[in-house]
Amino acid sequence: MAARAWRVKRGRKAIAAIVLWVLGRGLVASARLDGRVRREVASWPDPSVVTLLIAPWGPRVSWRRAGNSLTAIGSAEVDPDLLVTFKSVDVALPCLLGMKGVLDAFTEHRSTASGDLKHAMSVLRCLHIVEGYLFPDIMTRRILPRPAERSRGHLVAYANLLHSSATIESGERP
Amino acid sequence: MIPAYYEFQNSAKILSGNRAIEHIGFELLSLGVSRPLVLTNQQLLDLKIATIVLDALADTEATVATVFTDVPVDSSVDVVNEVARVYRETQADAIVAVGGGSVLDTAKGAAIVLTHGATDLMQYRGAESLRGRRSVAFIAIPTTAGTGSEATSAAVIKDTERHLKLSFQSLSLLPDVAILDPRMTLKLPPRLTASTAMDALTHAVESVSCRQANPLSDNYARSAIDLIREYLPRVLDRPDDERARLALANAALMAGVAFSNAMVGIVHAMGHAAGGVAGIAHGDAMALLLPHGMAYNSDAVCDRYAEILPNLAGIDVYAATPPAERGQAAIDAVRSLLKMLHERTGLPLTLSQAGVSAGQIPEIASVALDEAALSMNVKQPTYEELVAILEGAL
Repeated sequence: MAARAWRVKRGRKAIAAIVLWVLGRGLVASARLDGRVRREVASWPDPSVVTLLIAPWGPRVSWRRAGNSLTAIGSAEVDPDLLVTFKSVDVALPCLLGMKGVLDAFTEHRSTASGDLKHAMSVLRCLHIVEGYLFPDIMTRRILPRPAERSRGHLVAYANLLHSSATIESGERP
Repeated sequence: MIPAYYEFQNSAKILSGNRAIEHIGFELLSLGVSRPLVLTNQQLLDLKIATIVLDALADTEATVATVFTDVPVDSSVDVVNEVARVYRETQADAIVAVGGGSVLDTAKGAAIVLTHGATDLMQYRGAESLRGRRSVAFIAIPTTAGTGSEATSAAVIKDTERHLKLSFQSLSLLPDVAILDPRMTLKLPPRLTASTAMDALTHAVESVSCRQANPLSDNYARSAIDLIREYLPRVLDRPDDERARLALANAALMAGVAFSNAMVGIVHAMGHAAGGVAGIAHGDAMALLLPHGMAYNSDAVCDRYAEILPNLAGIDVYAATPPAERGQAAIDAVRSLLKMLHERTGLPLTLSQAGVSAGQIPEIASVALDEAALSMNVKQPTYEELVAILEGAL
């Protein structure tokens, strides 16, 4: 049984790693398509790195905001300014697969945040927008605090997953 | 109401009662410490309130390492670092914090510095990001009945150099012992009594309607509301009623336990922002914004507000109110309480009475949107909705 449980956990981590990669590119794609994300990212400290990590050792995904550029830096081990940690893969996977809200994970003490909580709130809002682009409405209706808004369709968003960086702009609050 | 998942912790030992402070020697012995640093402020010494604790300590086996009184109204990184330096220099082995939220938060910050050897508190900002057990014994003695900081896992400390408010939230920030003694709040003037009690009431009401409300936090919250309903008018009638003062201190502590576990929401997000932008006293902001936050949330948690109607207004009002109207009646009960406090103590009813101008509303809404408390609210408001709520409170 222990070996089976270990294989299941390993499988979950592998799936989580893939979804985190998609999420990493998804945030960049959303920044390319949606002014709300660009304005949120423009409010992040410059330069700064944000990491989403599944405890205890990963997988993880990070983004770097430097000047007017947002880059998904994948699973590279970096020293983040804001580290959001899911306490276990069992909590992270439902969130990453759109079965549970990221906000729920935070409010249920299932994730922790090290860094400026104001920055974390901005990242949270970005992730909600990204989920609106990556997941169909039938899923986002359950996991987002309000109906998803998209300036472009899902297919355009998926096509933009090919890009690892986006140009951001400064501006007023979305 | 049972959530799919929740966590709850209240590890502080609580001493509540007349002359409870006289047990401080035993508590220090129990914790295995004997050289406490007493943290307070000069005003509390001048008013002979902190002196009650010092006198009690003089009659114990403990030796006070030093009395640190330079704690400003808003605790700051510089003061926290100075407390930690003095703690080491005087070879203290515990902190006894005597004061309001600022003093208690300073003690929590110093405990972080001393436990983690921190040179920069910035490293430890965040939610549940601190690791390991606290290495500093910590006794909290509140001198107001409002913040509940003696029972909460949160601290806010100003970084004056970088103009930042650093937020910390970790269960390791809970004190080892919290002492509630009515002598500590007897001299609070009516206006401040009302403001701090409304802060406690807001903690309780928001904890009931937040996303992490759970059966344990609900019970603390409802008991806190009961005590405030019954004893706040009594304290205003007879400020020297020790029993009533003790009841309010208990209410603040229980509301602190409730919100430390279930969190707070939109009222605190707007209130913190209003405090930062317009300098409104925290309790005043909580008081006047509470009914507006409840009204905004009511379509999502009307049933939860209905559940606390007997606590807010009494069982007779609950029984006489049709079930469909009980949620709104709970909001009305808060408005009635506010009106009474306004008439008796001058507590502001509107943002403009508290000195906020219409021109400050957009900035307050913008800052509120970034408050972590907002993520705990049952509904996630937009910037425009926040502006509308704040304009309604103007």
